[in-house]
Amino acid sequence: MAQRLIKTRREFFKVAAMAAGATALAACGAPPTAAPAPPPATTAPAAPPTAAPPTKAPAPTAAPTAAAAAPAPLGAQYIGKLEGYEIQVGAARPANLKEAPMLAELVKAGKLPPVEQRVPDEPCVTKPLREIGQYGGTWRRGFIGPADGENGNRMVSVDKWLFWDYTGTKIMPSLAKGWKVSEDGKTTTIYLRKGLKWSDGTPYTADDCLFWFEDLYSNPDLVPTPDRALAPGGKHGKMVKVDDLTIEFRFENPYWLFELVLAGDMLPGRGQATGQFASWYYGGYAPKHYLSQFLPKYKPQAELDAAAKAAGYTDWKARFQVLKDWERNPELPGVQPWKVVAGADITKSVWVIERNPYYWEVDTAGNQLPYIDKIQFTLAENVEVINLRAIAGEYDQQERHLDVQKLPVFIENQQKGNYTVHIDPGTNGGDANIYFNFSYEEDPEIRKWILNKDFRRALSLGIDREQIKEAFFLGLGTAGSPIPDPVMPEYPGDEWRTKWHTLDIAQANALLDKIGLDKKDAEGYRLRSDGKGRLRLEMDCTGSFLPYPKLAEMIVPQWKKIGIQLDIKNLERATLEANRNANKQQLMMWSNGGTELLYLYPIHALPVQVNSQVGPEIAKWYSTGGAQGMAPPDPDLKKCIELYDEAQTKNLEERNKIAQEIWKIYVDAVLAIGTVGLSPAFLGLRITSNKLGNIPARHVNAQHMRTPTSSRPTTIFFKS
Amino acid sequence: MLSYILRRFLLAIVTVWAITVLAFVIIQLPPGDFVTIYINALQSSGSPISYGQAEAMRAQYGLDQPMYIQYLKWMGMMLQGDFGMALAWNKPVKEIIGDRLTLTMVVSIAAILLTWTVALPIGIYSAVRQYSLGDYVFTFIGFIGIAVPNFMLALILMYVGYKYFNMSIGGLFSPQYAEAPWSLAKVLDLLQHLILPALILGLAGTAQLIRIMRANLLDELRKPYVVTARAKGLSETRVILKYPVRAALNPFASTIGYYFPYVVSGSIVVSLVLSLPTVGPLLLTALVAQDMFLAGTIVLMLGVMTVIGTFVSDLILMWIDPRIRMEG
Repeated sequence: MAQRLIKTRREFFKVAAMAAGATALAACGAPPTAAPAPPPATTAPAAPPTAAPPTKAPAPTAAPTAAAAAPAPLGAQYIGKLEGYEIQVGAARPANLKEAPMLAELVKAGKLPPVEQRVPDEPCVTKPLREIGQYGGTWRRGFIGPADGENGNRMVSVDKWLFWDYTGTKIMPSLAKGWKVSEDGKTTTIYLRKGLKWSDGTPYTADDCLFWFEDLYSNPDLVPTPDRALAPGGKHGKMVKVDDLTIEFRFENPYWLFELVLAGDMLPGRGQATGQFASWYYGGYAPKHYLSQFLPKYKPQAELDAAAKAAGYTDWKARFQVLKDWERNPELPGVQPWKVVAGADITKSVWVIERNPYYWEVDTAGNQLPYIDKIQFTLAENVEVINLRAIAGEYDQQERHLDVQKLPVFIENQQKGNYTVHIDPGTNGGDANIYFNFSYEEDPEIRKWILNKDFRRALSLGIDREQIKEAFFLGLGTAGSPIPDPVMPEYPGDEWRTKWHTLDIAQANALLDKIGLDKKDAEGYRLRSDGKGRLRLEMDCTGSFLPYPKLAEMIVPQWKKIGIQLDIKNLERATLEANRNANKQQLMMWSNGGTELLYLYPIHALPVQVNSQVGPEIAKWYSTGGAQGMAPPDPDLKKCIELYDEAQTKNLEERNKIAQEIWKIYVDAVLAIGTVGLSPAFLGLRITSNKLGNIPARHVNAQHMRTPTSSRPTTIFFKS
Repeated sequence: MLSYILRRFLLAIVTVWAITVLAFVIIQLPPGDFVTIYINALQSSGSPISYGQAEAMRAQYGLDQPMYIQYLKWMGMMLQGDFGMALAWNKPVKEIIGDRLTLTMVVSIAAILLTWTVALPIGIYSAVRQYSLGDYVFTFIGFIGIAVPNFMLALILMYVGYKYFNMSIGGLFSPQYAEAPWSLAKVLDLLQHLILPALILGLAGTAQLIRIMRANLLDELRKPYVVTARAKGLSETRVILKYPVRAALNPFASTIGYYFPYVVSGSIVVSLVLSLPTVGPLLLTALVAQDMFLAGTIVLMLGVMTVIGTFVSDLILMWIDPRIRMEG
């Protein structure tokens, strides 16, 4: 008996161990549940501002000749025409305003002032894409937990002073009525809308902006280090109140880039939702009448700390962090189209946001927007469930967390799920770039070759990009260098797409022989010049967002043909990043999302922001003004960084020219190898219920357009 | 007897302490910390932050202190019943686990009940009718049940459920009930959603238990007392149920201990696949994000439940089977 007993126990241990193993496996393969976020890359705007975007393939210009004969890739027909809303700048408030039935009831009951008193005297008048919509309905989406806050932020991103037109190329007023940059470029003025109100009915004025600047942003308890984006040339700017509805940003240096900073997804101009969620204190304004009561400047700190302790927080700061977060605090006044519902905040299994009765946008017929009453995000413990639910038609619109590699299944279930598939390619040039770490030091031999221009060119010429495009991008995308989409003003020209970025094994071998890597071992691999055996390159990869390790494995046999041994290191993301930050990486594969607006998101192109994979030590050197780290050892990289600095204080036209110049050097010196770009890999698969109206066939898929805000969610509605 | 219990109890306390140290160390092992992971995530969304901000966040969460100080602080808080804040949630750990604990227990207990009600009768049948057609069929199904990983079963059943029965995918509630107060409709909604997870979680254990029950009962059936009972003219049902089955139940008692941690965590993999709002996926998320307080509390909770469970099953065994000696 006793024996049997032990046996059974042992069996159970075995089972337990197996279960643990399976868990570990699942954990490794699991989608990055903890990583909040949006695809790293997200990417870029897109489509041509003037010409209709390509209907056949995403980027026609770059397609090599061979592509013409090939059949159109699956999914190409789902790339529609870029279209969207129109903001009528300066339009007067329509004469008779209308409101949603749920608000009309509240007005009737005397719980809310009439719509005329709620909508600003100078509202934002928007012409919806196709038609005036109808009120009502709940928009169903999926999210993966409290770290997925961007899921909601990106639905309400119009709460920024400035945003873009539907093409993502022209800056437009949004929460602000307008803006002006002074002739010397040193002052940017923001004009607020007259009669604009917070969601509790309190007027929104310049004091709310000043409150943010003085009491949040300039408070070292909350923001320990000021943001570089507010300090052109290293000199910090300041915000000044001109009158109740006008504020100015004043800088010591010309700062032409600043309007772009405000409109793009940078910290100072992000608006309340994205600027102040989680542990952030940016965004440009904050509700003074509500938040000031929780700050030590306005209330005794002892009292605040005691209240915080009573609520379960360590101190006032920890409590304040939650109080100013629109995703977590239903009482927080906001200016977003929808605001979080009590009891259904982001930490719950259903996150619901509901219309803001004081929202400041109307359609051309005078209907206060948004049309849709509520947006409901249901929790999925992993992204596979989101994909399956999307296929089952359980979401009305979803693009986030959808896996473009599952496209065939999405297409197959369109009818049953009553949805339509859209493909929105990004506009960044590289979705799987090979980066060189220019500050790598560990192995002097490898360092020598990384810093050799011809070596980098040879590696680039040894890659068969068409094979990668077919295998990993379903044929959707463009093979070539990492330069942005032709519609972007920083695009250097067609010849730079293919320069050093085509398959040419003969030339690659000739280059490698020429630079002194002409000795090979028995298996045909080239030998190190220091006599220590075979030259082996290491490339770090992680499986986040795209199956990078598998993609990289495809390059191993390709480089074998030019005698280069490549070892793929498949790392967990945190390990990869720790390796990178410790300057131990040689090569690394990642996207360059964002670089289509080089000055706003340079991190994946140039080492000018902390922890850049292009050279973490160079990034340290740059951000500490040369006090720490390593000066750029490569002359071409150095030139690019100098041009980038020079552009900071130039006006738009000159800036674009300099960016083109940077890209030309970048491609010619192969500072990073491009493989495939302009693909829908990130947020590029969008499904929309057939019940919804005003859905653009294609919207801009880009970081600065806060996709899917590029569809203008406030104008989307349920057809009855 | 009393000294035996006391000794086991003291041992249990030492074990729990060892678990706290292990839990703490294991969670700290991967490179980086919560702040690194958090910053990287934000960076990839286009908001790089400076060195100063990272350090400030570390100071705010106390991550800049040496490991042993962090441990002592953590222990100090625990002893006062404060489990800290879940960093990603910005809410006390207690609240977050509390929200999910009830549902986890509902799912786990449903699965256990299903396992027992199916496994026990079949196990008895298989033993009594050894090598009959029925025995072969159940054995066959049983081995498949053991061999197929249940996350795979979950994926397949979820797809079949959607494709042929129009069941909703994953979760324990329809969205309209998820945060609603309890009502009859909500309970019915839960029951509807409970079928799939209970079935999947139950089936794997069922196969296991059928085999154990069958093997144990076969041992007992051959013993002389069964023959004696038959010879005395007891009905067959009575013979089997009254004595050998009771003796064969011993292993069930000894495994009760292992159900304790299971009841509070649920199956991590299956919960993840089926998107059940239970403690399991919470643990995984917390580990990936290196959310020290949340992960530490859950790991500790599992450890404590295992220790308590073992303690309880020892007591039960001692009670139902006096043959077990007390030196253990």
